[in-house]
Amino acid sequence: MTLDAPRPNRRWRVHRRALLWSALLLLLLVAQSLLVALTLNYESSRAQELSETTAVEVAAELRRELGALQQQLQSLAFQAPDGGGWRAAAAAQLRAERILVRLERRDAEGRLALAVDSPFQAELFSLIPRADSDLETELACAAAGRAAAPVYSRSYFVPLPGGLGLELMDLCLPATAAGRTEGFVVASIALGALLEASLTPAQRRSHEFSFVEGDGTRLARAGLPRGAGVFQAERLVDMPGFALQLRADSSAGAPRLIPNLATALVLGLSLALFALVLLLARDVRRRARAEAALAEALAFRKAMEDSLVTGLRARTLDGRISYVNPAFCAMVGFSADELRSAEVPPYWPPERLEEYQRRQATRRLDDGAALTAAREGFETEFMRRSGERFPVMIYETPLVDAQRRQTGWMSAVLDLGAQRRMEELSRQQQERLQATARLATVGEMASLMSHELNQPLAAIASYASGSLNLLEAPDAETPGLLRQALERIAEQAERAGRVIKSVHDFVRRREQLHEAIGADTLIESVLPLVRLQARKSGTRIELDLPPTPPRVLCDRTMVEQVLLNLTRNGIQAMDGATPAAARVLTLRVEQPHERWVAFTVGDAGPGIPPEVAQRLFTPFYTTRRDGMGLGLSLCRTVIEQHGGALDFGPARGGGTEFRFTLPAARAAAAAPVAQTREAA
Amino acid sequence: MNLDPSLGLPVVYLVDDEDVVRDALAWLLRSRRLLSEGFASAEAFEQHLQAHRGGDARDWPGAPSCLVLDVRMPGTSGLVLFERLAERGLLAALPVIFLTGHGDVPTAVAAVKRGAFDFVEKPFSNNALVDRIEQALQASAATLLQRRQAAAVQRLLAELTERERDVLRLVIDGRPNKLIAEALHISVRTVEVHRARVFDKMKVRSAVELANLLRAPGA
Repeated sequence: MTLDAPRPNRRWRVHRRALLWSALLLLLLVAQSLLVALTLNYESSRAQELSETTAVEVAAELRRELGALQQQLQSLAFQAPDGGGWRAAAAAQLRAERILVRLERRDAEGRLALAVDSPFQAELFSLIPRADSDLETELACAAAGRAAAPVYSRSYFVPLPGGLGLELMDLCLPATAAGRTEGFVVASIALGALLEASLTPAQRRSHEFSFVEGDGTRLARAGLPRGAGVFQAERLVDMPGFALQLRADSSAGAPRLIPNLATALVLGLSLALFALVLLLARDVRRRARAEAALAEALAFRKAMEDSLVTGLRARTLDGRISYVNPAFCAMVGFSADELRSAEVPPYWPPERLEEYQRRQATRRLDDGAALTAAREGFETEFMRRSGERFPVMIYETPLVDAQRRQTGWMSAVLDLGAQRRMEELSRQQQERLQATARLATVGEMASLMSHELNQPLAAIASYASGSLNLLEAPDAETPGLLRQALERIAEQAERAGRVIKSVHDFVRRREQLHEAIGADTLIESVLPLVRLQARKSGTRIELDLPPTPPRVLCDRTMVEQVLLNLTRNGIQAMDGATPAAARVLTLRVEQPHERWVAFTVGDAGPGIPPEVAQRLFTPFYTTRRDGMGLGLSLCRTVIEQHGGALDFGPARGGGTEFRFTLPAARAAAAAPVAQTREAA
Repeated sequence: MNLDPSLGLPVVYLVDDEDVVRDALAWLLRSRRLLSEGFASAEAFEQHLQAHRGGDARDWPGAPSCLVLDVRMPGTSGLVLFERLAERGLLAALPVIFLTGHGDVPTAVAAVKRGAFDFVEKPFSNNALVDRIEQALQASAATLLQRRQAAAVQRLLAELTERERDVLRLVIDGRPNKLIAEALHISVRTVEVHRARVFDKMKVRSAVELANLLRAPGA
């Protein structure tokens, strides 16, 4: 986690990241432009090469064409210029070869003897006489005569009607007979037609071809497109007496970026690469952001888990602990590392190890039923480090990973011991409150009674004092006054008696509330409260009831109170004084006589010392710091009001037994009550 | 108990809602030769007060009196009645002794601090109560005597003329005749005449006696 990393470090990281990214972009840029440049370069060199090759091919074709022409014309040179025969042969030649525009027969001195024009061509020398352009021809023929071999003349331009013209070149063939030059055959070749004839259709489409002179003057051109002037190749075509410069000019211009397929491909790829890099960068940034959010969420969850009071525990499928939160550690008293490394959970009480292992094994086997049970929670017992056992409530859910496979169990563990302690505390508070309320009632009653009794007693005292006063100095009136006083004293004494009687009447009225009730019902109704107290100190409760529990005639609420008092005394007597295993509270019901039912509450405490026993039933006597001292005296009063007796003695197995009797309900009296109960 | 007989017979007023307590107390007081008058409630006592004294509090009660008052009563409580008596300035001439049941002691103590004569907790020791009642009656008698003397002085003062009263004031201030003459713009001789008349009318023989008379409580 770098959430709390120092700032300089963080800035440096940001800088480094920016540097890396810009370096990557720069490298990419250089590589891409280099690639594009190389591609373009390659493209142009290829185009140049194509032009060169084309030029070479065309030059070769030209030479071949001219060679073939020379061959054909050779025959004309051998034919005698007899007028009609030669003329016909020349005409045929002209018809066959489109590049020829005129054939002439000249004599040995170079004078024109015969001339045949091409039928495809307008009259050549209609605008200027042949003689005006004869110079080159004569020079060529002279050279041919000297060399006795065909010689080409320099090219010359012949204007034609209509503003056009032809660039021509003459081929002079010497007609030799027996080593002597008899004459010459002169063939005028159209340079444009010659060029056209030596081109293949493909070449014609891709290049512009032209013959140029050394000074760049273009003599003839061919080919469909116009040359772009970028990829040019020049080739010298050597002929005897004359050399032609052939120029091939590719129609393809300087290779441009976009329409070029390869470049486009490379460019597209580069762009795609750039886009990819950008996407990658964005992805990285998003990932970093997600990472930060995840870290935050993790920290949040950690804080949440740490703040929980509920213990959290995750286990793998084979029962090993993979995670615990601090609350769980605090609950069982082991550290997280100890718990994770333990083969068997150290918080399992050793005596229940087998049971727990079995339970875990079965849960692993079947999922469905156990799952719902685990969700609803089950109660079990764990052990703290100190060896103390405590009840826990466990809620489990399966732990499922990203592939939706169960990898273990996640459990929430509640310490019921703590919860029970809270319950106990609140119950005790409740009890104290009730006791206070009862005490308040008692106090009120006492206040009322004291007021009621105070008046007559005060009056009596006044009369008596007055009488004594009178007797100190008796006179004639004294006896009369004394009589009066005594009468009033008697009156007031009677009034006080009435007050006492009304209290008695109140008690009598409660007696009328007596009902016939089963001894078992009485005990059962207090048992929940007794159990609650007993659980706190680990006391066991043993019940000893006859098979058919007798019925007793009593004020149910009061007797229940007595039972509660006695059981609480018993439990408290054993608390601390008796080892936990020996803490047993016995509740026994017997019927020693047909009119009496005896209830016994026995404990296994240390017994009652004699000096305490003497004062046990004294009101307001108590051995407990927080006691009121009314419990046992009140119990005895209640039991005696029922006509029974309450006493105590040592129990058979040690400890103390409190025993009280209540009148048994006679069968006749009990039956109708029982019936009405059943009816209800 | 020795009281000035000229003040009349002392009376003990008993206010308690309990007939028995009232009757017994009356009987007890009678055995000690004390007159008593019983009232069943605070209202009844207030009516009695209204009937016998008219508007002026000065001349009631005519005889030494004492009020034995129960704190807790239905209707107007003893404390409320006590407050009303205190408002009227009757507590000096009519000392109040509270009867309290148990639990009312703090209230009674508070009442004593505010001017009640005493409180007695029920059940009370009878003759001790009567003793306290007698002490209260004596306190009441003393108050009445003072009042009577004050009234006498007032009567004497009323007989003086305006000029004599001026002289009296200056005499009490302790000024010699000469200064009195200067202050009143009369002759020393005239002052001496007035002074002799004042002494004569006020039935004193010296200026010191005169001052004592006028400074007595109640004057």
